[in-house]
Amino acid sequence: MTQLNDQNLKKVERALTEAHRLRQEPSLGADLTLRVMRDVRREASGHGQSMITLGLDLFVWRTAAVAAVLALVFTGSVLFYPDQEAVELTALLSNELDVVVPLSE
Amino acid sequence: MNGKVDRQLVDLVNLLTLDTAWCGVVMGDGWVMANTLGVLGIQLPMTDESLTVLKSEPEDRDLLRRIRRGEIDRYADLISRYQRHVIRIVSRRVPADRAEEITHDVFVRAYVGLAKFSGSVSFEHWLAGIAVRTCYDFWRERKREELPVSALTNEHHQWIEQMLATQSENQFYNLVRRREATEVLEWALGQLSPENRAVLTLVHLDGHSVREAAQLLGWSVVNVKVRAHRARQMLRTLLLERKRQEDDTTQ
Repeated sequence: MTQLNDQNLKKVERALTEAHRLRQEPSLGADLTLRVMRDVRREASGHGQSMITLGLDLFVWRTAAVAAVLALVFTGSVLFYPDQEAVELTALLSNELDVVVPLSE
Repeated sequence: MNGKVDRQLVDLVNLLTLDTAWCGVVMGDGWVMANTLGVLGIQLPMTDESLTVLKSEPEDRDLLRRIRRGEIDRYADLISRYQRHVIRIVSRRVPADRAEEITHDVFVRAYVGLAKFSGSVSFEHWLAGIAVRTCYDFWRERKREELPVSALTNEHHQWIEQMLATQSENQFYNLVRRREATEVLEWALGQLSPENRAVLTLVHLDGHSVREAAQLLGWSVVNVKVRAHRARQMLRTLLLERKRQEDDTTQ
């Protein structure tokens, strides 16, 4: 029995590689194009819908990207906004709410 | 300890040079450097001529333009043009009796995906990617069905023995052309996961570079590189184990 050492392994690997390259290509049926075209026409009948779906996908992803950037900017501004100014802003907003004129007047 | 370190070093060198390992292509340190640069995202000229043709041929561009304008029948011209190209890829990846059916699926998938074809690579190369991924899906589906993998027979063991004993190139190629060669290859590939099978076929059997394989599969270069290394190690282990078992039974 031949020992399967590194050198022998390489020989078997090379044989398998060559076997892969020498594989026979099966002959294609004459009606392959016809069958593909039949399915393609069927796909084409629903093509308009798929194009809309593709456009919608793009729109959703682009909107998501813009929303993510805006969220980051907002988070960053909250984190880095000076505390004093934040307090003033809160006070301003609360005063605004305090002085709202009741609708009944 | 030293042996372990040496082994790790050999593994690392294998990992870096795995593209050349099976193909018998002798390349210098420059290739290792080039491939490392590729991993780092630095673009270098490609080795595969089919990938250096980045733009689609004018005839293809014209046909694609007409198909997009609604002349669907022109797609038949593209099928005629590229069916040999697709069957060549498919027949090396799936059983012969399924090759035509998969080729059909490749062309239908290509049509459905035409809207996404940007033309930044040749149509031929884009189609090759679809063919490779369709074959990969075929094996994923088959794995899910858990179909039994054929076992090696005495004839296959004899073929391996004869292969190991062969001295001349003529004898080597006579053995390679025998049915047993393809069957042993199918048995070995059947033991691997669909992912490892796809990578091993592209890198080690077809001789594509890791970057080309990554482009065709749509995976990252690092993923393909690691899988190619692992798949080859698995195959070697399989062959060694099979041989050991056979030796044990004959003794």
